[in-house]
Amino acid sequence: MRTFLRDNGLVLFFGTIFLLALAGQAVAGFHALNDDQVADGAAPVTFATYLTSSDFGADVAENWQSEYLQFALYILATVHLVQRGSPESKPVGKAGTESDEDQQIGAHAGHESPAPARTGSPWLWWYSNSLGLTMGLIFLGSWTAQAVAGRAAYNAAQLRSFQDPLGLGEYLASPDFWSRTLQNWQSEFLAILSMALLAIYLRQRGSPESKPVGAAHSTTGVEG
Amino acid sequence: MKAQLALFVALLVFVGSGLAYVIALGLLHR
Repeated sequence: MRTFLRDNGLVLFFGTIFLLALAGQAVAGFHALNDDQVADGAAPVTFATYLTSSDFGADVAENWQSEYLQFALYILATVHLVQRGSPESKPVGKAGTESDEDQQIGAHAGHESPAPARTGSPWLWWYSNSLGLTMGLIFLGSWTAQAVAGRAAYNAAQLRSFQDPLGLGEYLASPDFWSRTLQNWQSEFLAILSMALLAIYLRQRGSPESKPVGAAHSTTGVEG
Repeated sequence: MKAQLALFVALLVFVGSGLAYVIALGLLHR
């Protein structure tokens, strides 16, 4: 048990604070919705009703999509783009998908290499891109969920104020959809930009996200 | 690496179910 906790500390720590934050979001979102209900002269909803509402679903999905977009873009952009001085970047001359030797594929694979890398099977292309594809797929799924649930939540508010509901196509062109989307995207892009740039000159001793404390500012692609 | 594989699968199942749940909510409430 102790070994399990030690070996999986990162996942268990972030899994725990994720569930706590999601529960907190549910409780706070429930109270915020009921404040609005009371202000509109409508009856308050129960917690179970809130958890099964499209308001809650859209609020969760809009944040998920932006996080998965952030990682998908970061994974793909760092294949081809470099940032001199950043530990998040590859060394300046290594931009691109690299050689089979660098990537331990085919004749360069070891005994413990995953099967597609050893055998060069038709699955190799998919396996070689599986991290970016999976992040991208979850991004598209989350963005779809945001659109479908966001439209339902938007239409419920429209009907409460005796206005016309929108079809899915109309909702996808609406300010509500793009406001929810872009307010999340801008913060993710700023966070990535900050990470790539701040880690050129700043250090966090012991963190693999940082260069070693004594590494030169000009060192690129070395993690501490 | 069995524990890591179990966590990996659990994450994909959780995220996939969460998205299916939100999409279902949206479709039911439209």
